[in-house]
Amino acid sequence: MIEVKDITKKFGRKQVLKGVSFSANKGEITCLIGINGVGKTTILNAIMALTPINKGQILIDGEKIKKESFDKLTFIPDAITVLPNMTIADSMQFMRDYYKSWNEQRATDLLQFFKLNPTDKIAQLSKGNTAKVNLLLGLALDVDYILMDEPFSGIDMFSREQIADVFTSHLIEDRGVIITTHEISDIEHLIDKVVLLDEGVVIKQFNTEEVREMEGKSVVDVMREVYQS
Amino acid sequence: MKVNFNNRDPVYVQVVRHFKEQIATNKLEPGQEIPSRRELAGQLKINPNTVQRAYKEMEEQGLIYTERNLPSKITRDEEMLQSVREELLLEAVHAFIASVHSIQVPFDELVELLREKYEEASDEKGGQQ
Amino acid sequence: MKSYLKLTSFELSRFFKLYLVLIAITIISQIIGVIVYSNSYLNEMNKVIYEEQMPKAEFLEVYGRSSLFNLTQTLWFLGPIALCIVALIFYVFFIWYRDWFGKNTFIYRLLMLPTARINVFFAKATSIFLMVLGLIALQIVLLFIENMIYQWMVPNEFRTDMVVSQVIQNFHILDIIIPTTITKLILYYAVGFMAVFVIFTGILLERSYRWKGIFLGIGYCAIAAAVFVLPIIIQELLQKNYLYLVELIIIEVILGLFVAACSIWLSSFLLKHRITV
Repeated sequence: MIEVKDITKKFGRKQVLKGVSFSANKGEITCLIGINGVGKTTILNAIMALTPINKGQILIDGEKIKKESFDKLTFIPDAITVLPNMTIADSMQFMRDYYKSWNEQRATDLLQFFKLNPTDKIAQLSKGNTAKVNLLLGLALDVDYILMDEPFSGIDMFSREQIADVFTSHLIEDRGVIITTHEISDIEHLIDKVVLLDEGVVIKQFNTEEVREMEGKSVVDVMREVYQS
Repeated sequence: MKVNFNNRDPVYVQVVRHFKEQIATNKLEPGQEIPSRRELAGQLKINPNTVQRAYKEMEEQGLIYTERNLPSKITRDEEMLQSVREELLLEAVHAFIASVHSIQVPFDELVELLREKYEEASDEKGGQQ
Repeated sequence: MKSYLKLTSFELSRFFKLYLVLIAITIISQIIGVIVYSNSYLNEMNKVIYEEQMPKAEFLEVYGRSSLFNLTQTLWFLGPIALCIVALIFYVFFIWYRDWFGKNTFIYRLLMLPTARINVFFAKATSIFLMVLGLIALQIVLLFIENMIYQWMVPNEFRTDMVVSQVIQNFHILDIIIPTTITKLILYYAVGFMAVFVIFTGILLERSYRWKGIFLGIGYCAIAAAVFVLPIIIQELLQKNYLYLVELIIIEVILGLFVAACSIWLSSFLLKHRITV
């Protein structure tokens, strides 16, 4: 379980996170939703120790992040994390070199799944294919948790469908996923849990099936209620 | 398999319902293997946990059964299969009556119209075959 | 350790193309320099001796013998050295900032490697150091080659032969770059390594605290430099040499190690707890 406990974060004078708490379980897809600029990316960065937090605590399976953790959880940011002059094969080699958790079989599967050409240069890929390479490099690791930042933003429809397919495939298996988005429609039926953020706080978190069952509401209904009141 | 899910009912309930329809119309036969949790999730593009929950629900209702580690199968229990058909029929009739009730049509007129339309639909279907 | 070595070779390969360009510029420029210098000396000599009929002895008196040392004072020779120095100083900063800026955000990957983050720091420092060493080795070899070309072009009687080490010793800048004694070598390069650590720490302070970090970074570099040169300044101010040279060197070594250790510790802390992508 990834536990985010009452974290706060200031950028200069601006308080971006004002005590955010939530948890994400293994085997579940947890979605952080918020209108842009509510600190979703900051939360993911904080979990990965890529930015310091002012207060609060983040635990991964009950422990603070340490170097070994990076073989246990992976972050797929909204930007490419390998060098633009690498080919896809180079970038895979880079990952293979450093990560014990690199799974060659899964990497090959993903390459086929996304129909990517390993000799293509990163710099010359379309936005959609760049996102797929990003996913490939993250998903090919045998990790327990995967963090994804806006995997659907600015990508063509077919790539979006392909990426959505990842979530139901064996590629995710029983891993814990935290995904941020401001556009729910692509994944409404794929997520287990929703964390709604606004103005740096969690305003509501719920289990999608429970909300449908108990209140007869869709995720969008709840969002409308929460954000428009 | 393609299902249009609505966003307001629990997805697992919709999956169970979908299975019942398939069983009632004999598209799924007694004893037939059903897809694995992950296969179905992939086909329907829904969360595997949801499928898991739907399967659990169906197992509890006796719609499917699992022997050891083999894939789950549709029940062979005739009584059960019959009751599924009845349940769906009853549901459809309930919905029908509810909507017809609001138009306040006399019962005899309704029955007549019903017979007429039903035969028309059957003829059309028969003509196609 | 394995990650550190891999990262170091990776960092080297990232600068390798530009590095080759630097090497090529240095080789071409300095070799052309020898030829141009030797030719112009020979031309001058031909003009004066054969056209103006000046006796050889008088020519040598007026114009002096040529020497490799004179060559080292030309732009052909010093230009590429200056270029390499500037390029490497620039790269000390660029080696970090390139990972944050532009389209790629490689720093995400570097910080998410399943290895101690200080290894990234060491790898970057080592690769700078190795590149400096490489250029120096090149310069030494080049000096020998240039000496050969020069001796081959200019006749014996018109030149003052020097061995390469004499050329180096005679020329203060070269003497720093290519120390002629082991002690000097260790001292200069230890200071260089320390300076790289200090500057890296300054950069990481900036990367951790951004605007505030610029001042912190500059402040840290200033304090580190002050601590290091303190004994020398005190002696200068008091106008007295309390310490023998050996003692001064020992104190400097201790201070240098102290500053380097502080930089590594602070960098490690920043990379672990304060860095922001």
